[in-house]
Amino acid sequence: MAEVTYEGATCIYQGAAKPAVDGLHLAIKDGEFVVMVGPSGCGKTTALRMLAGLEEIDDGSIRIDGNDMVGVSSRDRDIAMVFQNYALYPNKTVGENMGFALKMHGVEKAERARRVRDAAKMLDLEDFLDRKPRNLSGGQRQRVAMGRAIVREPKVFCMDEPLSNLDAQLRVQTRTQIAELQRRLEITTVYVTHDQVEAMTMGDRVAVMRSGQLQQFASPTELYDHPANVFVAGFIGSPAMNRLDGTLSPDGVKVGGATLRPAEALLRAAQGHGQLVAGIRPEHLAIGEGELQMQVDLVEDLGSDSYVYGHLTGDAKANIIVRSGRDHPRRGDDIKIAIDTSHLHLFDAGTGLRIDE
Amino acid sequence: MTALAPAVTSARPARPRLDARRQGWVRRAPLLPALVFTIIVTQLPFLVTLYYSLESWSLVRPGSQHFAGLTNYLDVFKDSQFRQTAVNTVIMTGGTVIIAMVIGVALALVLDRKFLGRGIVRTLLITPFLIMPVAAALLWKTTMLDSTFGVVNFVLRPFGIGHFDWISRFPIESVMIEMIWQWTPFMMLLVLAGLQSQPKDILEAASCDGAKPVAIFRELTLPHLRRYIELGVVLGAIYVVNDFDAVYMMTQGGPGISSANLPYYIYQRAFLGFQVGQAAAMGVVVVVATIIVATFALRLIFKTFSGTEQAA
Amino acid sequence: MASAEQIRTEPGLLTGAAVEPAHRRKRRRTNSTSWGIVGWVAGILFFFPVLWMVLTSFKTEAQAYTNTPNVVFSPTLSQYKTVFSSGLWPYVANSAFATIVSTLLVLLLATPCAFALSLRPVKKTRDVLFFFISTKMLPVVAAIIPIYIAARDLHLLDNIFTLVILYTAMNLPIAIWMMRSFFLEVPGELLEAAQMDGAPLRRTMTEVILPVVAPGIAATALICCIFSWNEFFFAVNITATEAATVPVFLVGFISSEGLYFAQLAAAATVATLPVVLAGWVAQRQLVRGLSFGAIK
Repeated sequence: MAEVTYEGATCIYQGAAKPAVDGLHLAIKDGEFVVMVGPSGCGKTTALRMLAGLEEIDDGSIRIDGNDMVGVSSRDRDIAMVFQNYALYPNKTVGENMGFALKMHGVEKAERARRVRDAAKMLDLEDFLDRKPRNLSGGQRQRVAMGRAIVREPKVFCMDEPLSNLDAQLRVQTRTQIAELQRRLEITTVYVTHDQVEAMTMGDRVAVMRSGQLQQFASPTELYDHPANVFVAGFIGSPAMNRLDGTLSPDGVKVGGATLRPAEALLRAAQGHGQLVAGIRPEHLAIGEGELQMQVDLVEDLGSDSYVYGHLTGDAKANIIVRSGRDHPRRGDDIKIAIDTSHLHLFDAGTGLRIDE
Repeated sequence: MTALAPAVTSARPARPRLDARRQGWVRRAPLLPALVFTIIVTQLPFLVTLYYSLESWSLVRPGSQHFAGLTNYLDVFKDSQFRQTAVNTVIMTGGTVIIAMVIGVALALVLDRKFLGRGIVRTLLITPFLIMPVAAALLWKTTMLDSTFGVVNFVLRPFGIGHFDWISRFPIESVMIEMIWQWTPFMMLLVLAGLQSQPKDILEAASCDGAKPVAIFRELTLPHLRRYIELGVVLGAIYVVNDFDAVYMMTQGGPGISSANLPYYIYQRAFLGFQVGQAAAMGVVVVVATIIVATFALRLIFKTFSGTEQAA
Repeated sequence: MASAEQIRTEPGLLTGAAVEPAHRRKRRRTNSTSWGIVGWVAGILFFFPVLWMVLTSFKTEAQAYTNTPNVVFSPTLSQYKTVFSSGLWPYVANSAFATIVSTLLVLLLATPCAFALSLRPVKKTRDVLFFFISTKMLPVVAAIIPIYIAARDLHLLDNIFTLVILYTAMNLPIAIWMMRSFFLEVPGELLEAAQMDGAPLRRTMTEVILPVVAPGIAATALICCIFSWNEFFFAVNITATEAATVPVFLVGFISSEGLYFAQLAAAATVATLPVVLAGWVAQRQLVRGLSFGAIK
């Protein structure tokens, strides 16, 4: 159990023009489950590895329980890491894999066996303790990787995309198991993924990263309802939020041919920003009488709902997604859309930052 | 090639069987030239050697050939010199291969790290393997180990060892040093291949688990390297056991036969003593011994090699 | 700020308060410097005999025969003049011929063989591979007697083609093993894609497989050339004056002249130079070959 703090942590690879992680500030509470999410190359994995001691901290610092980890090697940090490809020791059995760290710390054989058995029971691995990794399925290997981390009762769990090599169904199942496990063990966890669904469902708080820089660090709900910039707005939520170019006008925001009228306070705050990006989620648009006109390109019928993809009539580049029900329009249809302006987000087109009332 | 074509299913049973047999031959055909060539050039001579070993024959006295049964073999087993050279061969081969492998592992560990000029160092380390064995043997005999003018003695002079005749006093060791020098690069490269094939995240996981570098090497790297080490030892042994050039150039087997290995001793018998029958018998004995050892060794390579293919 | 007692650090690194990036990067550099020193020392030690040989070849005999090795001296080409005027070239021609022709023959025989052995692993595959490598385990000395006698009776002694045949047989097993490991690296999907594209086997072989395997073939050829050029035992027993190769020349240089260090060094340098240069230039191929394709 420990607090983890990134204080302006920076990592730059030799010969690279830009830092992989640029001045990251994160204050992670004891026992919290934090997810770092972002597209490929955003620096989330590097940030995690800096915490684990596998990448150098070139500037700033990272503290665990107040202790500066600069110059401290991985084996002295009391961190357990679950790797994307599991990194199980191929020449050792499952039991030996799980007990390895304890052996390195001089824990007695009997005590080791007991702790390994307890962890194995938690993960349903008791029957596999004598098998070698090559004789295990992907899902079993993943559990062994988790077990290896759990057995140690470390200060922090670091998990690097542990679900990405599992098939879709197993992924959903394991996701809930990991979240449950963490809640039970109450160990501070930093979890990296590129899948925003995992981020939204598992994290107490989520750090969205892009190009080495932190975009926003907040609870999933907060990220969803109040994204800090256009990037977060488009990254969180699937299908993505609609982001349309707009300009400020005396009585509202001009988008496409129509003028949208957001709340007074928001409109007032938007004064002075000439070019805007208007954001509205697919579920906050409705097909029916409304301000905007759209041409349907494609409909995805998912059974429970459907998503209608298209563009603003007259502007092929202004893409729109509308959530609909079983009864949805067809491809090529021209439809009208109504906007729920209480859920309209406004961002400055230049900086991308959110305009808050 | 029809091997890649889908199997023919037909109502007429005769057709598939013919095709299958033809398929088999087409598949085997590319093998045959190499196979036939090898059999002719290597197996026939061995059979002839077998035949000669049963004859008493000295090349000095033409026409003296006559069937002698197993007398040659009896002579071989009674020959204490043969036993001595056999022991020498085991010492030289085992010693060279093991020491070359140990040094090779150490050098591979060094070359696995990044440092300035690593490429150049690798070039330098590979060079001994490229040097003509007779030239290398000559080199070591004269400029390095010579009692008066050799570099080794010069370097050791401050330590009190001046005019030391390495070749006469330590013949086997001198030959071994030369062979180790030549074969270490080979071992190093094989082990380096092994090191580079180990996934890095396993080493990181061990580091996170609290393992010190020595523990990581002992628990994870060495077991992984085992198949590469085995391959190097077996292949190296195959070449070293047959090494003739070093002994011929450096010591001529001497003093006496203290540094003669089996190839050199048999050569002496055949080409210097002209005792064809006896030399042939020795050759056969060595072949049989080699086959016995090799059968065990080969089972090892195959386990190694098919394992490597699976893992790759 | 962290206190020194709470942190266990790497030896040699200051503990505690925020440190500038330069200091941290220095730790990375010091680590690689110590490995670098070890590497360079090892490299120089191993290379030293070769260096010394080359240095000695530029000395006069007087300079070479000193108690204290001469490192600084004025170089002379007289030893090389002697070497080159000792009828070196026929030997070089023989070596070149035997090496090149036998290597070509090896590639010709080994490539289809290795290809067949890599396509569909049949249980016979193991036996065939075993057989090939077993031919290397049989001591050459056992075979040399009948080969010598047969060559003598067939008047094939001192004939360069005899050497070619022997070198081919000598290198074939290793060549087959190496080529097979390179063929195994060709992804099966490549063959399937070519089949889908309608290519007959011959064209698949030449246009799809061979380009992928080409570096491996080069590596195998290099290894064969090295072993053939450096081979002494067969050469010295089978050849005399017509077909003698460079190793024989080198040894002959001694017996007739005695042990003259500088001269021998020059002769040895000349003898080993082609293969060493080839090995250096094609180092990547050499490393590939010797590690059976594992190090690229």
